[in-house]
Amino acid sequence: MDDYAIGVLTNIGLISFLALSAYLLLITGEMSFGQQAFFGVGAYAGGMLTAMYGWSLPLAALCAMALGALAQFLVGLPTLRLRGLYFAMATLAAAEMARILFELFHFQRQLEGEPVGPDGSQGFRGIRWVFEHGVEPLEYLGMVYALLALALVAFLLVERSRLGATLRGVGEDAELAASLGVNVTRVKLGVAAAAGALAALGGVLYAHHNTYIEPRNFDIMLGVHSLAYALIGGLGTALGPLLGVVLDIGALEGSRVFQGYRMIVFGGLVALLLIWRPRGLLDERAVQWLRRRFS
Amino acid sequence: MAKAALLLILSVLPGLALAQAPKADLACKATGTDFVFDCTIRLSRGGKPLEGAQVTVGADMPSMPMAHNVKPVKAQAAHAPGEYRAKLDLEMLGVWAVKLRLAGPVRDQLILHYEFDSKGATPAKR
Repeated sequence: MDDYAIGVLTNIGLISFLALSAYLLLITGEMSFGQQAFFGVGAYAGGMLTAMYGWSLPLAALCAMALGALAQFLVGLPTLRLRGLYFAMATLAAAEMARILFELFHFQRQLEGEPVGPDGSQGFRGIRWVFEHGVEPLEYLGMVYALLALALVAFLLVERSRLGATLRGVGEDAELAASLGVNVTRVKLGVAAAAGALAALGGVLYAHHNTYIEPRNFDIMLGVHSLAYALIGGLGTALGPLLGVVLDIGALEGSRVFQGYRMIVFGGLVALLLIWRPRGLLDERAVQWLRRRFS
Repeated sequence: MAKAALLLILSVLPGLALAQAPKADLACKATGTDFVFDCTIRLSRGGKPLEGAQVTVGADMPSMPMAHNVKPVKAQAAHAPGEYRAKLDLEMLGVWAVKLRLAGPVRDQLILHYEFDSKGATPAKR
């Protein structure tokens, strides 16, 4: 496999964490435009721990996931009181606040005579754990997909469990779920924390793949795309967002012939798809049909 | 996959492993074809030119780093020590994060921010 193919596949894997994070909130009925903030929290926290303090990547990733979970839990406390469009706007505002905080965040250490660490809008260079530990691109790709497979298995197990039914019940009618004894606030805060952890894991892996991050990496474009993956791929199963990522990156890579116009072509394709299938390709009806067909 | 999982498990112990990082600068000239630039990359390490490296050059739009990018190309060694040349075919003018992936005597990745205009490229002011 050449470097280009490995790079594209790694990007698909990395962005899938963000797509799954947005999907998790979508199935409980919340549309978040702010998952990029927690991706950023993970990227900064993980990058700082490995580049500035010499932590290993796995430990840094665990710590960053905990921080991402805490951050989204704290954002969820006030914002999950809101509904629909108001929640979406609140998450967008929170994500923009986070991005501006990254712009203002200067925290560096001198290591071997070089400043290392976040330098506001100049970004954060030198997140070189992968290179310093001799991890080859193909091995890193394997690490990303091993973790993604773990996340996906967890999703599929949850979706087949009572908890999965509860999450979908909350998403379809929160008041009805509450009348059946479900503590909706607790469920939504738990889901928010899990979504934050998942986004943060993607962020840590992204920072170490790229070796450099900056506040602009975590702006609204990334948030819109993360939602689009779930909406394109479908809300019927956790495989939907992954299908969305593959189609998104695949369509972007495949439309290079359109050069600078390819984002316009791509946007048009997404609009057409959402008119044709408003809940995505793998929506609940398609998943039911597939289950009947293959069971 | 098994090797990746093993690496993940074995690398749990913390440890600071800072090697001397290579440095790079870039000079690009417009070719006359829209958005295509001839670029010269100068690589050094510890103040000395870095020779014999395999350099792959890509570029990302900072606001959509994993999706809005250009296909990486391999740079060719130029006559001067530590110098490499590559043709970059960008999709539009503006600020790009040029990504230099190094292999050979040193494995690393360097990111340089440059603003591309109709004449060439200058380091981006941010």
